Amino acid sequence: MNRDLQTTETAFGIEAGSPAVRRSAGRAKRTDRTATVVVWSMAMFGLALLGFIVIAICWKGLLYALNPHFVFGAPRTSAAGGGIWPMVWSSFYLAILTLVIVLPVGVGAAIYMSEYAREGFMTRSVRFGADVLTTVPSIVFGIFGLLLFVTYMGLGYSLLAGALLLALLNLPTIMRTSEEALKAVPNSYREASMGLGASRWHTIKKVVLPSAIPGITTGAILAIGRVVGESAAIVYTVGTFVLKAPLLPTQPAAPMAGNIWYLVSEGGLMIPDAIKIASAEAAFLLLLVLAFNLLARLIAWLYKRKTRTAARFV
Amino acid sequence: MVDREWIIKKVLAVLSMLVVVGILLIVVFVTKAALPVITKVGLFNLFSSNWYPPTGHYGIMIFIVGTLLTTVGGLLIGAPLALGTALFLTEMAPRRAATIVTRGVEVLAGIPSIVLGWLGLIILLPWIKALTRTGGTGIFAASIILGIMVMPTITTIAKDALETVPADYRLGSIGLGATRWQTTWRVTLPAAKSGIIVAVILGMGRAIGETMAVALVIGPATSYAKGLFSPTHTLTTKMLMEMGESSGIQRSALFFMALVLLLIAIALIALIRVASRKKAYAR
Repeated sequence: MNRDLQTTETAFGIEAGSPAVRRSAGRAKRTDRTATVVVWSMAMFGLALLGFIVIAICWKGLLYALNPHFVFGAPRTSAAGGGIWPMVWSSFYLAILTLVIVLPVGVGAAIYMSEYAREGFMTRSVRFGADVLTTVPSIVFGIFGLLLFVTYMGLGYSLLAGALLLALLNLPTIMRTSEEALKAVPNSYREASMGLGASRWHTIKKVVLPSAIPGITTGAILAIGRVVGESAAIVYTVGTFVLKAPLLPTQPAAPMAGNIWYLVSEGGLMIPDAIKIASAEAAFLLLLVLAFNLLARLIAWLYKRKTRTAARFV
Repeated sequence: MVDREWIIKKVLAVLSMLVVVGILLIVVFVTKAALPVITKVGLFNLFSSNWYPPTGHYGIMIFIVGTLLTTVGGLLIGAPLALGTALFLTEMAPRRAATIVTRGVEVLAGIPSIVLGWLGLIILLPWIKALTRTGGTGIFAASIILGIMVMPTITTIAKDALETVPADYRLGSIGLGATRWQTTWRVTLPAAKSGIIVAVILGMGRAIGETMAVALVIGPATSYAKGLFSPTHTLTTKMLMEMGESSGIQRSALFFMALVLLLIAIALIALIRVASRKKAYAR
């Protein structure tokens, strides 16, 4: 027994505890320590970078952005001191309109993919299409919107054209988050409902969908954040500058993200304080998007806590 | 009698096909708009380095090279950072630190590209200007901004890939006396290789397609970059800036650029499909 152990220890011609082994083990330990330090500092650098970005953007523009005359004020074309209310309004209007279009379609599609579809050519092509759609650059989306909605369908630069386009842009993400939410509903729920004689659609409507609502809501709020932050896709479909807040979906508008581009490119030539306005608008936009992200996480977290408490009583 | 359940099922199926319809519509409309330039000007002219619409030259090579260089630059900066962060999250981080970093990555992913571009314009460019005594705009500035943009994308997907590596692999390695880093480097990373490749490809897709953030720091100039700090153009920025005041064949040439980007996007996804199928086969 003892002899066997000795043979294994010298199996590779290196005796355990010999200087060679100790050296190699020491080197491995040093590498391990260095790698740990490097990986930790990379992650911390990422956090520091995020902190820097948020602080820098706020530093440059937040003070000016927090002025109510700026957020709720009317823009000016050839004088300094203009506000951005029509742009703020446009951003929200566009986001709501987009959601109204994309939610029914996306959730319906997700219901089909999670509750009805069997894996096959059709589901494969849907997933492929969704993946490609997520990878298509937003400027390509933008000029496609210009071709189809603005020109071919004759909608012109308008909120509706932009909302239709952004609905398509956000469709894959809404589909994926909703499908995940639906698939997270335990199968026992479906079995219990159908065991009581409910039809498949009735089960989905009354049992599965209500349980998936929090997940779907989280996805929808994240989509609002993305629509509000989207710029390249709306420059040639919605518009980049308006003087008055639009009322109808068929009117042109100017969401904040596109308006910043306008201020940097053309507007800078006419508006004397374009840089100041763009700085403040960027800060306001960033905080708004962060707030939507936070809200989405909050809903997910609240729901998680609720179900955990509920599970304790089951 | 019409079966209600059947109708609902079919309606939902049609809704799910809308993504396919959407992508087909994009391909059809963009191709149709790009056809005039392909037939009248020809591919030879289109893939040359001379872009000068007044004399009928529509070469897009400058923009392809610009896109290529900024993408490679962005990946060189963003991918190592992302992989490090993904390794941190899956292999090393205490739970609380992991939660904080995960939230941070999510927030970073949510920052609108126009805001990042704005940051590049008013903070990064003056710095580069002061340090290099150049105009500041160009490949270098664009690469930094793109690095920040691809980082969350790659981190999230690489993290998922690393998480699917069975715990047994790590335990087996540690049990043999390997250090944590030996385990990570020799066992975990190779096991997650295809997932990490997918992550980098998707990051690449994001960098190729990014428009606004690059547009604010790239220059612009319709010429090859003479160095890291000289202005140039990418496919996306050229489209963004000229679409407004173009018409006829010139506009068609811009749609041709969109077609190129579209084909790249489709190719990337097909590539990912091949990469992940190989993995399933190996299992």
